Amino acid sequence: MKKIQQRFLIAILIAMLAASNILGAARAASDSPAQIAESIRAALVQAQLFLVNDPNASAELVSAAEALYRTGLSEQISVSNPDAHVRVVLAFQDLKDRMSSRDAAAFAAARAQAWTAILAGSYAIVEESIQNGNGLTAQTWLPVREFRTATRFSRPNVGATVTIESFIAGKTSAKDALLAVRADVLDTYQARLSESLHDLQTADANGFPARRAELAALAEGYFFILSPAYLEQRGSSSLAVAQVAFNDLHASAIGNPEQLNEKLVVVENALDNFRAAPLSPAEQSRRAGQLLRFLSLVPVEYGRGVVDGRGTKDIEIQEAITFHTGAYAAFADLKDLLGELDPSQTVRADIIFESLGKRLSEASTNRSVASPEDIKSQTKELSAILEGLIPEEWLKSSAQGDFDVIASMLDQMQAAVRNGEYALAESSRLDAYAIMETGPEARLMVFAPELKLRLEELFWNGQGNSKGLAYLIENRASYSEVKATRLQLDVHLSEAQTELTRNTAPTAIAMNAGIIVFREGLEAVVILASLMSSLKSAEERRYRKPMWLGSVLALVATALTWLLAHEVLQSLARYGEKLEAVVSIIAIGILLLIMNWFFHKTYWTSWLASFHATKRRLLNEETGLFLGLIVLGFTSVYREGFEIVLFLQALVLEGGVPVVLMGVIGSSIAVALVGMIVFRLQKNLPYMKILVITGILIGSVLLQMVGSTVHVLQVVGWLPIHVIQGVDLPYWLGTWFGMYPTWEGLIFQVASMIFVTGSYFLAEGMRKHRLSSISRGLVKSTAEL
Amino acid sequence: MVRTRTLFFTTLILILLLSACAPAAVATPAPEENPSAADLSGIKTYLLDKSSELTGSSKSLKGASDRYYALAESAGFDYAALWESNPAEVSAALRDAKSAWMAASPVYEQMEGIVAGTPSLAEYDVILDAGASGDEDTENAVPFDLTLPDGRVLPKPGNLFGVLESTLWGTYDDFTTGIDADLDGNGTVDFGESLPEANVLKAGADALDLYTTELDMASSEWQPTESDAFTALVVMVPTMSEYFNSWKNSRFILGNASEQRDFVVISRLADIQNILGSLQIVYSEVKPMVESTDEAQAAQIEQLLGDLKNFVADVHAKEQSGYQHTPEEADVLGAEAQNRATAIAGQVAQIAAKLNITIED
Repeated sequence: MKKIQQRFLIAILIAMLAASNILGAARAASDSPAQIAESIRAALVQAQLFLVNDPNASAELVSAAEALYRTGLSEQISVSNPDAHVRVVLAFQDLKDRMSSRDAAAFAAARAQAWTAILAGSYAIVEESIQNGNGLTAQTWLPVREFRTATRFSRPNVGATVTIESFIAGKTSAKDALLAVRADVLDTYQARLSESLHDLQTADANGFPARRAELAALAEGYFFILSPAYLEQRGSSSLAVAQVAFNDLHASAIGNPEQLNEKLVVVENALDNFRAAPLSPAEQSRRAGQLLRFLSLVPVEYGRGVVDGRGTKDIEIQEAITFHTGAYAAFADLKDLLGELDPSQTVRADIIFESLGKRLSEASTNRSVASPEDIKSQTKELSAILEGLIPEEWLKSSAQGDFDVIASMLDQMQAAVRNGEYALAESSRLDAYAIMETGPEARLMVFAPELKLRLEELFWNGQGNSKGLAYLIENRASYSEVKATRLQLDVHLSEAQTELTRNTAPTAIAMNAGIIVFREGLEAVVILASLMSSLKSAEERRYRKPMWLGSVLALVATALTWLLAHEVLQSLARYGEKLEAVVSIIAIGILLLIMNWFFHKTYWTSWLASFHATKRRLLNEETGLFLGLIVLGFTSVYREGFEIVLFLQALVLEGGVPVVLMGVIGSSIAVALVGMIVFRLQKNLPYMKILVITGILIGSVLLQMVGSTVHVLQVVGWLPIHVIQGVDLPYWLGTWFGMYPTWEGLIFQVASMIFVTGSYFLAEGMRKHRLSSISRGLVKSTAEL
Repeated sequence: MVRTRTLFFTTLILILLLSACAPAAVATPAPEENPSAADLSGIKTYLLDKSSELTGSSKSLKGASDRYYALAESAGFDYAALWESNPAEVSAALRDAKSAWMAASPVYEQMEGIVAGTPSLAEYDVILDAGASGDEDTENAVPFDLTLPDGRVLPKPGNLFGVLESTLWGTYDDFTTGIDADLDGNGTVDFGESLPEANVLKAGADALDLYTTELDMASSEWQPTESDAFTALVVMVPTMSEYFNSWKNSRFILGNASEQRDFVVISRLADIQNILGSLQIVYSEVKPMVESTDEAQAAQIEQLLGDLKNFVADVHAKEQSGYQHTPEEADVLGAEAQNRATAIAGQVAQIAAKLNITIED
């Protein structure tokens, strides 16, 4: 009964396929090549499953599949890739020949040959169509393809599909489209080839003859697809040797499985270092970015893990090894290309990589612990070679590499939380943020400041729907909470990536460099110019000198920071936010003190300068005052200078020095003009007006500084965060005016305003009190007289 | 003087205005809008229905486990004595526990496609069904330790359905008492008839109840996005390989030679069909979006999903009819299922790229 049911089902299936055979031409016209190819593939699988128990059904399925190929695909494939067409035809013949013998292994091999030949034929049509400018045909045939075996953790490539759409729309050239399609499709088939060889060994170990034969034939078929690339890279004689190796493998899988391992070795040697899919320019940049970033972290992690010649923190040494592995993987992908540029240096780099890896490995087992200085020096040597090797255009767009490294560190952070290792999680988080700070963040500040804000909150102590990672790790939050924030972070990092790949025009870079310098410089200039201009009398003018001195020292420090930027920023990046917080607090403190002094000084020097006791008091305060003014000048300028260096470093990488310099020079002139205008205009104003205007200007700057400093303190967790519910301020209010929707920010800003206006009224009150005292004194004197 | 003052203020205002406006001068263009969004409420409704069923079954399992624990406790955890003194109540409690597990497991499989494929919910899949034990696979191990009522801690014991299955059916020595018992009273001790370790059973059932309740709450709060839907399809469809591997190594293929402690009661093939069923629900919600880009491909993906489910159903039907697939046949079938699944995931990923929808990691 069961057999009757089975036959009935098979009959229906055959009838359906027969009907499709009769209507083959019409069906072929309506079905896409992908649908036809899938029907052929599925029919052949079914045919194999029925081969032993029902060879007649199997034969019908093979015939139907052959008819589908003949009517639906052969016409185009035979033109674009005659060899592939021949392979398909021979495979079908082989399939039919195996019916009588019910040779499942040979049948499986022939099935694999037919399928891979169809894939080869369709790929040839896609390439040819792109070369002929026929995007629609390429788009129609591209789905006749396979994808990398997807898992929970890996995603299918979409590069080819997206590129062909862009090619059709006229946004991508044929050359670039071809590169992208090759990168996607050939990479897929190379991965499938590797998988087939791997699975072949498993099938052999399990004693599955049909699977063994199928997998060997699949491997040969995938190599057939890759052979044009192999020919291009290795030449015809190497190709011939490789083809023989695959043929032998195929033959042994069916006839001599005891020789299989031997044949596998020959095949693997032929494939050693072969990469069918050329890296696209974007991938080249990405790998270059990963290579340099990962390498730069090796000595940093190693230095934390080795003290006094002993490995003290195994975790840090392991991280150094992980980063070395990551760097080497990226180098391996680029090695062939770099070797074409400079073979000897590439070999040298390879040797140093190996030596470095060996030393790290020895340190991890405490066999021989190299000093951090040695590792640093060797890494530096290697970096220098690589930076000389890697073409400049790869480095310009290496933001993708930065994001890859950040993602890798966040993965480590997540894994650490999962294992309850919160200290390690925090270390990985800081490393991820350091890369963020010295790489993408600076450019985000320019191109997408609102994203910068969101990323900062999620990395640190944000208190929104997803709490910041620093906050969660410090409070030993659950893995699911950390993961939820990580997911949010990934969304914004992805947005950031998109933004940064969009904004590369030189004009945009120059303008944004100019805006950075103008915005950051404005604050310093307003404080100093308004204070200096208000010091009008001969005696007061000398107070300008220490401010000038402080400013000049700050400019020198900024220039030095620029020169040392790479190393300084790298080592300070972890502490970037905290450093900013500390410097900001000092700057505010100095500004408040000076403001306070200013309001009182204005009156004292105006009204009490004739009193010697007061003079002596003033003279005693002089040294402290001069130092305070130098510090004011220094902090006002350097605080902004440091940020400017940070942002401009990133822009220089993007657009080059000349482009950035254009923007900097333009805005420096604008900033100087602002300072001069403020200075000149204030000169002509009466004292009272000066007082008020200086107060307003400095007050505005103070408001911004207080708001921004509170924000930074909250980011690093030194101040609590209480969000003002229901208030959503645009990001530019924060960037320009230091206004963020938290109670702490609002309260501190209001308090600072009260302090400023309070100082004014206090000074005003004191002035009136003295006036009235003097008046009373005069009246009394007059009365006495 | 007045002119100077006016000039000063004017300059100041102009400077501030210029500064405030400047970033807008080089503002980046807004990202392109996606085409009309899909109505994904059906996915959430489906998920909540299943989640509610699951919590119900979990509570039943907890109740039965508590009863068994109380019985074991009253016998001083002397399981031989327990069975001898009170076979009827022990049998009833264990029968109820097994029934509840057999009700809960397929319900979870019917929602697993959505849970495991949605990044914000995926952790629950690791806890409930997919996570390995720390001994087997540290990288993919469950994130929890199981604390037993007697104070012992089982570090990363594996996913909860697996722990409970191996406890109830006695397939893992550490979770059983070693006492065989003719629980169904048919005169023979059949496969799965042994007394579970009461502490492990109770701790596992309590944890299942806790996490299924949490999952229910998380599902209520979850707002499905297009990205979630497409990610679920791309992530979950290709897991055929994992499931077929489990099936290949299970008792259903290898019989007593199988060393697998999970998937001994319900064939993995049934689970696969349930998972695919949930993914068909997901796809039906996003199909209008796919159609707006490529009608033919929308139809093809739907057909491929259906064909894959039918393919697995055919294999399962054969198995249930008594046919014993050979290991090689299982390997061939598994490879075919994987190939079909990869093709579906690939096509869905291409459509997602065309629609500018992010597939999450």
